[in-house]
Amino acid sequence: MNDIGEFALLLALATALYGVASYVMAFRSNRVDVYMSADKTPIIVWGCVMVSSIALWKAFLTNDFSLQYVAAYSNIDLDFFYKFSSFWGGQKGSLLFWALILTTYMMVVHVQNRKQNVRLVPIALAVMMVITLFFLVLLNFSTNPFERLPVPPEDGRGLNPLLQNYWMVIHPPTLYLGYVGFTVPFAFATAALLTKNLDDGWIRLTRKWTLVSWFFLCLGNLFGAQWAYVELGWGGYWAWDPVENAAFMPLIVATAYLHSVQIQEKKDMMKVWNMSLVLLTFVMTIFGTFITRSGLIQSVHTFDEATLGYYFLGFLGVIIAFSVTMILLRLPLLQSKNELDSFLSRESSFLLNNLVLLGIAFATFWGTIFPIVSEAFRGVKITVGPPFYNQVNVPIGMVLLALIGIGPVIAWRRSSWSNLKRNFTKPVLTAAIGAAMMFPFVPLTDKSEIFTYITFILCIFVMTSMFIEFMKGTGARMEARGESPINALSGLVWKNKGRYGGYIVHLGVVLIFAGIAGSQSYSTDVEKHLKIGERFQLRGYDFIYEKLLVKEESSTKTRVIAQLGIERDGRRLWTGMPEKEFYKGQNQPVTEVDLISTLKEDVYMILADFNPENSSATIKVYVNPMVKWMWLGGWVIAFGTMIAVWPDRLEARRRVERLKRQEAIFIPAQE
Amino acid sequence: MKTMRIYMSMIAALVVLSGPATVWAASQLADLENALMCKCDDKCGKVLINCTCDTAKETRKALKTNLESGLTVDQIVKQYVVKYGETVLSAPTKSGFNLSAWITPFAALVIGGFGVRKVIQSWVRPVQTEKDADESGEESASEADTPSGKYSKRLKDELDRLES
Repeated sequence: MNDIGEFALLLALATALYGVASYVMAFRSNRVDVYMSADKTPIIVWGCVMVSSIALWKAFLTNDFSLQYVAAYSNIDLDFFYKFSSFWGGQKGSLLFWALILTTYMMVVHVQNRKQNVRLVPIALAVMMVITLFFLVLLNFSTNPFERLPVPPEDGRGLNPLLQNYWMVIHPPTLYLGYVGFTVPFAFATAALLTKNLDDGWIRLTRKWTLVSWFFLCLGNLFGAQWAYVELGWGGYWAWDPVENAAFMPLIVATAYLHSVQIQEKKDMMKVWNMSLVLLTFVMTIFGTFITRSGLIQSVHTFDEATLGYYFLGFLGVIIAFSVTMILLRLPLLQSKNELDSFLSRESSFLLNNLVLLGIAFATFWGTIFPIVSEAFRGVKITVGPPFYNQVNVPIGMVLLALIGIGPVIAWRRSSWSNLKRNFTKPVLTAAIGAAMMFPFVPLTDKSEIFTYITFILCIFVMTSMFIEFMKGTGARMEARGESPINALSGLVWKNKGRYGGYIVHLGVVLIFAGIAGSQSYSTDVEKHLKIGERFQLRGYDFIYEKLLVKEESSTKTRVIAQLGIERDGRRLWTGMPEKEFYKGQNQPVTEVDLISTLKEDVYMILADFNPENSSATIKVYVNPMVKWMWLGGWVIAFGTMIAVWPDRLEARRRVERLKRQEAIFIPAQE
Repeated sequence: MKTMRIYMSMIAALVVLSGPATVWAASQLADLENALMCKCDDKCGKVLINCTCDTAKETRKALKTNLESGLTVDQIVKQYVVKYGETVLSAPTKSGFNLSAWITPFAALVIGGFGVRKVIQSWVRPVQTEKDADESGEESASEADTPSGKYSKRLKDELDRLES
């Protein structure tokens, strides 16, 4: 099976090469026969990569340690679940996983557009095929997951214990679905540039792809934060690590694009800007991959054998050079009649929103590369950690939060001061009342708490402005159609999925902001060294250290568990079981926290240390308020995105009409 | 000039809000744990406060001892910089070349802000009186504000068209 997997990778490479050549030839010569011969290549390449992936999964599940990769990332005792996820636990497998998702997307694009969008699709597929080719070259010649060991070991080294967590089964695929998904808008944008079909066709075609990719990247970031929260045992969820930044930056740039593209859709403006944002989003995904796989920047998340830096740097350079050149070459065709009716308009607010979002992306990028800049200019390597990002991004983020509330209240085309005054009165008043009501209860002893207070006020402002938007639309429907409030609300959302789905996503973002603010400012912790039977208190909770348990889970894993009784007002709430897991061959034990999670707060328990001789233990407990709001925000975002991308009957009808209008396979581009 | 003043005050506010590096700390030990990176053999790349490894535990003990001996946070930080170099700091200092790390993002925002303002100004149709803007604004405001007869009619028309 390993031979088949290896051969399938080679076959995929050859087919991808043929596919690129024939798509390009078909387009240049306008020959239907060549196009038809290229037509099956996306499916063949996908099939080959799938066969190769199945072969690698089989090797993991059957403990085939003749493969160096399997021996390095799995062992006999590993749970089935983690054997499955070990596939992407190291560099080689994760690249194959990337290729698998990319070719799956390519196949879906191919099937979706078989007989339509023929102006762009062949070239878009060729672009996707070129990117696939890059990964296939790496997989075949540099990081082959089917590399054999001369003498297979009896057992493997096992998966990094930190990765043996259910979030690590979910987080990487989600993140990759987002990361790789941005290849599709990039490919269509590039196809539009190459074929000079620079109307909004490519935007229409990739709208849902962009939304879905954004959604997965957003969830991927949140799942990663949840993994860090439950697995790393420091009471936090985001450390502004370079690799976290690498996943955060494309998300922010894509968010800017999702907003500014609406101006192009509505007013046929900002073509250069939107094109640049799409290309930049993709560049950011490759930059992130470069960081993770180059070993250039120190991070807890980089792959052990981060040796692919030069490949990715070269690829990044080619993409940037190509993108900039194409935009410059097509600049005359990208010129649009940019006209605004008023300074005060939704369009202007979107521009401001883009500025702030790109400001956050730039600050993050700058912080990520500053150690390299410092080393290059001063010869001194420095560290840029959370204090930098918190101090720079928090104020900018608060401006962004305010804009989330301001944007929807400003009318498209033009607004006026009196209009603004009227629309802002209720949200501002509500925020002011909220501020006054919170004031006696909110500590304001340091800047962090002042920031949090302002963030809460802004959250109320945004929530009110959203609520009013829903109320207005619902009220108008009730008046115009005599519908019941529930019917009017559901009808309103259903008939304007993009708009109200977007508003729901904004509500999710507000919840995330509130969760971050609350948990960052009002977290309390205490660390106690305890003998059995001793107790301590924190924020109204009583913790009683009851016993220390040692469990030999397997020949490679031992668990040491501290049993804690948790009481509140004399009533037992929970039995906490924070633990440390010791894995054979690993220097450091792994912390497994225990958690009581409510909307109000999380009680987060860690076994920091223990003494097996007298069964004493050092217990650290955090009480982190409002963490759950962030995870809830993620689900609200998921719900909003689902509404926004839900298939629309009207759009389907328009697509059929467009199809009818297309008569030739290739229509020459217009100069 | 007025706009310039607004931008400058916004930037001044942002820089002031960004404040000194003690924003996220509650106590002196927490200040130190926030200010220093963990220097373990695994090169974990974590801020000390976020690290749970043995080296981090040892470092915390040493920091406590230093604080109890009467050293200030600044003095202890300086000791660590002498010992490990600037990489031990969790954020760049706010002096010399490192200041550019702090200023550049805000400077980029200011420049971007001017750019956006210029772009919007050049895109806005030149012939606009305040009265016109107010009147048309009233129109779009009433569209979005109250379910007036005109808005209801337009909404109804649009809904009918969508559903037809």
